[in-house]
Amino acid sequence: MMLSRAKPAVGGDPPHTDKRKKKGRKIPKLEELLSQRDFTGAITLLEFKRHVGEQEEDTNLWIGYCAFHLGDYKRALEEYENATKEENCNPEVWVNLACTYFFLGMYKQAEAAGFKAPKSRLQNRLLFHLAHKFNDEKKLMNFHQNLQDITEDQLSLASIHYMRSHYQEAIDIYKRILLDNREYLALNVYVALCYYKLDYYDVSQEVLAVYLQQIPDSTIALNLKACNHFRLYNGKAAEAELKSLMDNASSSFEFAKELIRHNLVVFRGGEGALQVLPPLVDVIPEARLNLVIYYLRQDDVQEAYNLIKDLEPTTPQEYILKGVVNAALGQEMGSRDHMKIAQQFFQLVGGSASECDTIPGRQCMASCFFLLKQFEDVLIYLNSFKSYFYNDDIFNFNYAQAKATTGNTSEGEEVFLLIQSEKLKNDYIYLSWLARCYIMNKKPRLAWELYLKMETSGESFSLLQLIANDCYKMGQFYYSAKAFDVLERLDPNPEYWEGKRGACVGIFQMILAGREPKETLREVLHLLRSTGNTQVEYIIRIMKKWAKENRVPV
Amino acid sequence: MQGDLNSFGGPVRKLAVVSQRDSLPPPPAARGSSTKIVENQTYDERLEINDSEEVASICTPSPRYRGLTHSARLPNKTMADNSSDEYEEENNKEKKKTLQLAPQHGFSENDDDDDDDDSSETDSDEEDDNERHGAPLEGSMVSSRLMVPPAPSETCVALGSRRVLSEPGRWPLTSGGHVLEKREQIYVLTRETCLDRSREHGQAENRAYDPADYEHLPVSAEVKELFQYINRYTPQLIDLDHKLKPFIPDFIPAVGDIDAFLKVPRPDGKPDSLGLLVLDEPCAKQSDPTVLSLWLTENSKQHNVTQHIRVKSLEDAEKNPKAIDMWIESISELHHSKPPATVHYTRPMPDIDTLMQEWSPDFEELLGKVSLPTAEIDCSLAEYIDMVCAILDIPVYKSRVQALHLLFSLYSEFKNSQHFRALAEGKRGLAPPPSPSPQAGDAETSTLG
Repeated sequence: MMLSRAKPAVGGDPPHTDKRKKKGRKIPKLEELLSQRDFTGAITLLEFKRHVGEQEEDTNLWIGYCAFHLGDYKRALEEYENATKEENCNPEVWVNLACTYFFLGMYKQAEAAGFKAPKSRLQNRLLFHLAHKFNDEKKLMNFHQNLQDITEDQLSLASIHYMRSHYQEAIDIYKRILLDNREYLALNVYVALCYYKLDYYDVSQEVLAVYLQQIPDSTIALNLKACNHFRLYNGKAAEAELKSLMDNASSSFEFAKELIRHNLVVFRGGEGALQVLPPLVDVIPEARLNLVIYYLRQDDVQEAYNLIKDLEPTTPQEYILKGVVNAALGQEMGSRDHMKIAQQFFQLVGGSASECDTIPGRQCMASCFFLLKQFEDVLIYLNSFKSYFYNDDIFNFNYAQAKATTGNTSEGEEVFLLIQSEKLKNDYIYLSWLARCYIMNKKPRLAWELYLKMETSGESFSLLQLIANDCYKMGQFYYSAKAFDVLERLDPNPEYWEGKRGACVGIFQMILAGREPKETLREVLHLLRSTGNTQVEYIIRIMKKWAKENRVPV
Repeated sequence: MQGDLNSFGGPVRKLAVVSQRDSLPPPPAARGSSTKIVENQTYDERLEINDSEEVASICTPSPRYRGLTHSARLPNKTMADNSSDEYEEENNKEKKKTLQLAPQHGFSENDDDDDDDDSSETDSDEEDDNERHGAPLEGSMVSSRLMVPPAPSETCVALGSRRVLSEPGRWPLTSGGHVLEKREQIYVLTRETCLDRSREHGQAENRAYDPADYEHLPVSAEVKELFQYINRYTPQLIDLDHKLKPFIPDFIPAVGDIDAFLKVPRPDGKPDSLGLLVLDEPCAKQSDPTVLSLWLTENSKQHNVTQHIRVKSLEDAEKNPKAIDMWIESISELHHSKPPATVHYTRPMPDIDTLMQEWSPDFEELLGKVSLPTAEIDCSLAEYIDMVCAILDIPVYKSRVQALHLLFSLYSEFKNSQHFRALAEGKRGLAPPPSPSPQAGDAETSTLG
């Protein structure tokens, strides 16, 4: 459901045709196209003029300008590179070229071009951002000192704050500028972006609405709105928002297409991830993380690890993801090193001031204690957010183990039975712990049935040992005897005979105590007879004698 | 705004000049101090991780810093420090019902104490913590940040029991007035949890097999001796493995970076206000370059200019009917703007007005009885054309093309004529057949289609 829709879904067409009719009557002026931010149109016009020889001065620079703001940096690069090769080239062009290189991710070239340009505020800002990209703190400080208290410089600084996750500092700058310049509408979107990053999605929506009211078809703003909806509601609501964006865009509109494609994958729960995301890795920073998440969901831990192993984490999301991948891999390979790294990352995030009260933070803490096998603590954390995960298999799998380990087998059983995934249900961890819960909860027959459904394997042998011993401990001698009987056949270990002997006598005791039906005695004798031990005859004799005295048919 | 700009490229390091305060929270270890008062435990207190291999971590925790400084508050004014008081007044009545909850609501103050204890914390941090915890709890902050209740200890401490993390219910997912309800719920759930636990621990002890329970059985010495076998086997304690299924995070949408004002200026040096008045992004409705080029060529009257226009092709055309419709529409609009093409007939042809004259009354009468030949008639197309043209008084010369042109012009004339359209509609509405002449011609030619 969308309550905050700002743009009517129906009725957006009339102004469109109007505009076109007007366009039909006369040749559009460059200024008009620019003020509409119709850069495609502007480029077409400029190219046409160039072609028919109406060329004015600086046509190539104008095309460069339009291509740049259209986001077609390759085209802009072409124009600017050609311009710098001309003989009487304006030296200012170098900084334009540098900016273009910057957005193409060619930072070295950007720096080289930047130094060729005469000193200017734009040049300083560019070098400031380059220093950030190069992680050169010293240069960063130098260029920072050159920043002035003018709007563009301050906004450039705010952008650095944003990239360094210092969202509040960025908001401070934007609000200060907005105070004196109410008309700077775009700043509202910047503030909304910061609030989004701070997880204040409602606030972000509110601030964003100010901008969308004036410019309802803004790509960046609508994408942010979709992201807010994703966090506030679900992928469907978010996708609807993106869809209206795509429907309203003309077919020649290429701006931010990659971003939208990326987010569609996100909103559709990973659909099309393998087609869309790989080429976007290192273009959109989230693409790599999402690809890792996708692989994790497909249980392809090794691929996930390959993608993330060289990533130096800086955001909580990155720390969490590295932790998750290491935990998964460590358990798959039995590697203590990976588990150790995972536990440290989890502890780092879960213990941090910013994350400790969020669900991901609590998940981290629970995972950390789980890896340390401190299950009482695991429960404390899992309990604190379990209401959000009632039907979540992964949550229940961990939760049930913690419950069962701390002795709460009745709830453990309950939670294990909530799990739906067949894969998890066939996991030996699941089977063994559920069997233990059944036995502790006096349901040994159900535990025995778990064994019966298993293929013969090392794991089924282990489960037999579990049933034999746990049942014995709990005085459920009938199923203990059955389990020991099978164990003895598989492995003639005298210990199994001792177990079976004790269990059979135990059943006898239970019959005497009236806790087992007398008819079971026949089965006990049958179980005993399958062993070729001298004690068997002695035990059988006593049991038979009792049966005769008590008129129990055997 | 540049959506594909590489953000988060560099590490989140402290930027001394840029930031006026410490940007990173202290690592958890520094916060959890064992000398703290038990009642004021925070979440990190429980971080007593028994880990002998603990090494000094080289990776600084650099989670996003969410603290709010004094200078900038969130838009919601109730974020102010006194919000908790407001809240308490508001809900004073209900609160009396749940006295046990006293420590729960006070945890933001507890945090202050906590920070005071911890000398490494700066003042701004203290404020931050306060707000961070305070905002969602008081419910006045309109934020959707999914917070779970912070300190786990209070509720059960109040109940004189062991630390148990309070149950969150649907804690701050919603903003506003249901907080107290949830507190009650928390209290109930927590107490239940505590009770549950002790009960079950007890049960577990009782349920194990105890031979003493069966000593009273009236059995012979022989049987009693047999019973010894039960204790001769000691069941093994089988350690089961654990497996953590890691919590896989949700997919992360991308919002892009913020305009850094690294943009090329206009070549004429005029300000463009991009990034200030409007976002620096192209508008969603860009001109179609091909269509615009055609317009420009058309309007420039330089038809002799041989411009090679690149006509783009459309991928997945079947999935994109909108683009096709747009194209057809814009091109037809372009054609409409041109003067209509005129055809010069090589042989004399009657003019349209003559052809539109009524048929003779005899013929009209006949039409009421017999219908005109339809396309189903058994003849070739050429013959059929000749037939229809003859009925409509259109001469056919050597080539039928010009005759057909006149035929369709006539059809178009009838179709676009207000008079005949009204007439046709009126007839259709009143009496279905028989069709009168203009309409008959109408139907006729359309079957030619």
